Amino acid sequence: MRGHSYKYVATQVKFFIEKGKFLLIVSNIRMSIVEFGQAKGLTSTPNRGLAIVDFMVRLLAVAGTLGGAIVMASTEETLPFSTQFVRFRAEYDDLPTFTLFVVVNFIVSGYLLLSIPLSIFNIVRNTAKNTRILLIIFDTAMMGLLTAGASAAAAIVYLAHKGNDRANWFAICRQFNSFCERISGSLIGSFVGVAAFILLILLSAVALSRRN
Amino acid sequence: MMKSESTAIDVPESSAVPKGKASLMAATRDAKGGYNKGFAIFDFILRLGAIVCALAAASTMGTSDESLPFFNQFFQFQASYDDIPTFQFFVIAMAMIAGYLVLSLPFSIVSIVRPHAAGPRILLLIFDTVSLALNTAAAAAAADIVYLAHNGNSTTNWFAICQQFGDFCRKVSGAVVASFASAVVFMLLVIMSGLALRRQ
Repeated sequence: MRGHSYKYVATQVKFFIEKGKFLLIVSNIRMSIVEFGQAKGLTSTPNRGLAIVDFMVRLLAVAGTLGGAIVMASTEETLPFSTQFVRFRAEYDDLPTFTLFVVVNFIVSGYLLLSIPLSIFNIVRNTAKNTRILLIIFDTAMMGLLTAGASAAAAIVYLAHKGNDRANWFAICRQFNSFCERISGSLIGSFVGVAAFILLILLSAVALSRRN
Repeated sequence: MMKSESTAIDVPESSAVPKGKASLMAATRDAKGGYNKGFAIFDFILRLGAIVCALAAASTMGTSDESLPFFNQFFQFQASYDDIPTFQFFVIAMAMIAGYLVLSLPFSIVSIVRPHAAGPRILLLIFDTVSLALNTAAAAAAADIVYLAHNGNSTTNWFAICQQFGDFCRKVSGAVVASFASAVVFMLLVIMSGLALRRQ
């Protein structure tokens, strides 16, 4: 009996010693991570939160602009009563503004995809200033481009819906229904991208101005 | 005797060393402040230029009425910015932007006087970004209608009205160019605010 109890006590003590060693190792690793973080400035959490929001807004903007470009580029409608001489067909190619819209949206979504690695780098390294100012400069330029393309297309869509009596411009939406719906819907994605860009510029500026 | 010699030691350098460090710090702060002050002065001048551009665009578009000299029994051929809702939006948006620029001049002066303050700069950057979006939207929409007025469109059977209304067309095109100039100025303002914030 005594032997058994000694063995039991010995195993319990061994278990506690092993547990203590494990805890010591874990606390060592934790302290070294904290020291590493303090040395490299990685423990400033407000900038990290901003950078994560920046990344997510970028993904949202990619979805919006890419969706708008694809929906606009795939619109075409042929009315059922086309005759031999007059052709009642509408395509995005027929209006140069829509061609501009598609091209601009593809360019902006390509830029956003290329800037995602830079945004991930900003999450990892919080005190990066040069990459943030680079992102602000390019985001501002791309925002101007996207807003120009989206509002030009919006002006044409408005004309297509309402027409204009003075200039004798007929509202084509009365004939081409599904064409009209698709081009109106593709504008929404593009304007979501514009709002996202405004937010991105503000986030980068606020992250730049914090003293770490 | 030895004791009196050992007690009469004066240390003149310990008071001068912190002074030297303080003057060095003041020198680096002034150098950084110099760049920020240059940015702020350039920002102020650009803002004055943008006020001129925005006011010119709004007023040119607003006074662009034209009546053709011939008329028939039923109606007279007139064109004004009122007839096209996009142009109405353009005039209102450019007037709002000119008003915002005038109101932002005091903030710009504050950031010249205090080059190290981040508050006015961030405020200016937020509102400048929103104004850039509004300005570009108004300019691009009006440019699109002007393009249609110059060229027309065969598929939708939209006639090019510039062939009849020459003066109206010229004034409207000039207004659109002025508003694009103001949009470029806004882009420069946003980028300069960002650069000035980086040097804090």
